[in-house]
Amino acid sequence: MEHAAASPLEAMTRAAEDPAGYVEQWKARTGGRAIAVFPMNFPAEIAHAAGLLPVIVQEDRNPITLGNNLLSEFNCGYSRNLADQAATGRLDVFDGFFMADHCIQLIGAADVIRELTGGRRFYLGQLISSMNDPWTPEQARLTMTDFVAELSSFAGVEITDERLRESIKTYNRGRKLLRTLYEQRRSGDSRFTSGELQTMVKSSMVMQREEHNALMEDLVAQSSATPRDDRVRVHLSGHFCHAPKPELLALIEESGGIVVDDDLFHGARYISTDADESASPVDALVGQYLERNVNVPCPTRAQSDVDWDAYLLNAVHSSGAEVVISLLVKYCEPHMLYLPELRKALEAEGIPHLLLETEHEGIPLETMRTRIEAMFEQATRGRAPTRVPTA
Amino acid sequence: MATLVEDKSNRLRMTGRGGELVGAYWDELFTARERGAQVVWYNGHALNPLFQAAGISWCHGEAFSARLAAQHLEGPAQLAGEEYGYVNELCSYSRTHLGCAVLTNDFGEGETGIVGAVDQRELASRLPEPDFFVNGYQGCSTGQQWDQMSYRILGKKVPIFTLSLPYMFGSKPDAGYLVGEEWETATNYVVDQLEKLIEFLEAQTGRPFDYDKLGEIMGYIKAASQLRREAMALCMAKPTPATYWDWVACIAHINFMPAGQRLIDYFQGVKDEVVERLANGVSGVANERYRLYFDGIMNWNKLGWLARKFADTDAAVICGRYTHQNFWQEPQLIDPENPLRGLAQHYLLCSNSQGFKTLKEAMVKDCDDYGIDGIIFHASRTCRAYTNHQHLLARVAEKQLGLPTTFFEGDIADAAFYKDEILEVRLAALLETIDAKRART
Repeated sequence: MEHAAASPLEAMTRAAEDPAGYVEQWKARTGGRAIAVFPMNFPAEIAHAAGLLPVIVQEDRNPITLGNNLLSEFNCGYSRNLADQAATGRLDVFDGFFMADHCIQLIGAADVIRELTGGRRFYLGQLISSMNDPWTPEQARLTMTDFVAELSSFAGVEITDERLRESIKTYNRGRKLLRTLYEQRRSGDSRFTSGELQTMVKSSMVMQREEHNALMEDLVAQSSATPRDDRVRVHLSGHFCHAPKPELLALIEESGGIVVDDDLFHGARYISTDADESASPVDALVGQYLERNVNVPCPTRAQSDVDWDAYLLNAVHSSGAEVVISLLVKYCEPHMLYLPELRKALEAEGIPHLLLETEHEGIPLETMRTRIEAMFEQATRGRAPTRVPTA
Repeated sequence: MATLVEDKSNRLRMTGRGGELVGAYWDELFTARERGAQVVWYNGHALNPLFQAAGISWCHGEAFSARLAAQHLEGPAQLAGEEYGYVNELCSYSRTHLGCAVLTNDFGEGETGIVGAVDQRELASRLPEPDFFVNGYQGCSTGQQWDQMSYRILGKKVPIFTLSLPYMFGSKPDAGYLVGEEWETATNYVVDQLEKLIEFLEAQTGRPFDYDKLGEIMGYIKAASQLRREAMALCMAKPTPATYWDWVACIAHINFMPAGQRLIDYFQGVKDEVVERLANGVSGVANERYRLYFDGIMNWNKLGWLARKFADTDAAVICGRYTHQNFWQEPQLIDPENPLRGLAQHYLLCSNSQGFKTLKEAMVKDCDDYGIDGIIFHASRTCRAYTNHQHLLARVAEKQLGLPTTFFEGDIADAAFYKDEILEVRLAALLETIDAKRART
């Protein structure tokens, strides 16, 4: 195995920071083909069952150059970064492109990618986003079935129920391992920083899942719990599609906070829900799609009977978080639409809430530091007197 | 902002008549409660024929926001939305309409902190609270969430129906405009969705749906749409007898006003006036020297201003994606005997819901048909659906058609994003480029 010599976290960091490098090595090693997939709902298990390597395309660190002449500057940084990756050949390592969502900004990026990577397959199959209609399960099933047919055709492999069932088990195993650490974090274990946990999730979106699972098994088995100190307990919320910059996560910890839970896509949202291994595979994937939005409601879906704000309050209470920091990707409209409801719910329960807007081009860390420190000071001032230093 | 001394635009007389019709429509909606009518708030596609057939009064969210912006009355609703927590980079249609929902929901001044909330409530109170919502968005995912928020603002007690409509990306190998497996599958799916919507309407009204009336309504829309398209086609003439701004001014009529003989008479009047102008050699711009294509959703705050602005430079804006690739633009697809199929297909044809391949072909055709010299892109700041493909379209215009292009920033319903000086400079540069190109040939 390519990363056998490295420590699990080092191997994951390498894949998370350089997905294209990982994909190149994987292709050289296996002779297989890799496809780029896009957030947030593509059923990677189907591609895996076809013997492909499905890789969720990550926002990279390169400054956007050509991408700014392909999408407007007021598109989210991730969609402009995708356009830039396509324009500068950074997606050349992929043999095809598959997508399941219909966020309007991602669709803009999809059309740019299709235009600039001509000749390679780009398939957009939309999973129904109205989640609680009587016809929703059947419509989602048709789309999942369509993905099975398209990926079978693309890979030249028949995706049997048996293969798909095995892939579901492999992905469930990976999610369960990641959830183990997330649940331990909620319970008071602080051995991994939020940046390290993000690396684990991010690399799971890139690496071949069996390889990632093996690394996760090592990580889970190796370390012992570290009790949480009295830093301010933070719930991180928002940031769909791409990961918050690691330096922002570090800043929160440097400023006296400790992240105890999140609902980030590169976090609890991504690993929240398994597919039912006892059901027929396609039905299991449909069920997973629908249940995920109940477990961690997503503002890109429409579901009248679940609320992100209610979920957030429950999450805060169960982890003991003292404050909520909303990480809003600049120009992310689904998030912008739900912000007032979140604010109202948190205010009603007296939970401090800080909104931080992030951008691809760089984030004003020092300005953020001031705001975060001020919030933490406020939170600690409200604590019981025993927490006040006596010296 | 620059001052325009002379108005060289020559708008159709029917534009004034059209304005009266639109005003009457809104006044009638505002009195729906007094008349005992049910009210639906809907967003996205032109679902109004279904509501009309069901005997329901309807408010199209974008149209109300556009109406407020066109009258420069959008400020109070946007302020209410901002005070409620909506960031100003959010779609200004949704921000304005959600602001109306906030005010409609009668949040007191003390609760919202809105300055002058009492006076503003008067504005919002003109929009009757809905009995139910219907969402009909396809390409623009923002539209779907917008109604989910309206649902929440109004206390989660108003029923909501979400029509699921596929985006026409063109994934299948044979995908194309009006053809291919994707087109047929999507058509059947949307027909099925419309049947479910009709069941929902029957449940809300307690009445069986009147399919005969729907067929009759679609007959009116088909006839009006044919007249509109014929009038537009007459503008291939040089100089053009009417401009893009005239077609913008009659969008409300074709897109959400009640369909009946009055609608046909209106568009017959528009066409007659265009024919009359052609016969008399009257042009839409006093001294047409440039023929431009306008790509972008409308800046409703600036409709009259932009019409004068372009005419001031002798530029006739002839056609554009917003007017020519939307709003029942393929009337031959409407079959009054089988109205749901024609409805479904027109929802799929909204240019917001088309992949780049189709948009490119449509733009190229319009530029060829109308003898276009250059393209101006209105980068509407808060509308990603409409700006998504503009840079790709500009590349096609320049590389494939050899047409110069330029961009200016504005917005659909938020005047703050428009900078007149930027348009002034960019438009001058575009026209100079056209001059230089002409000098070379």
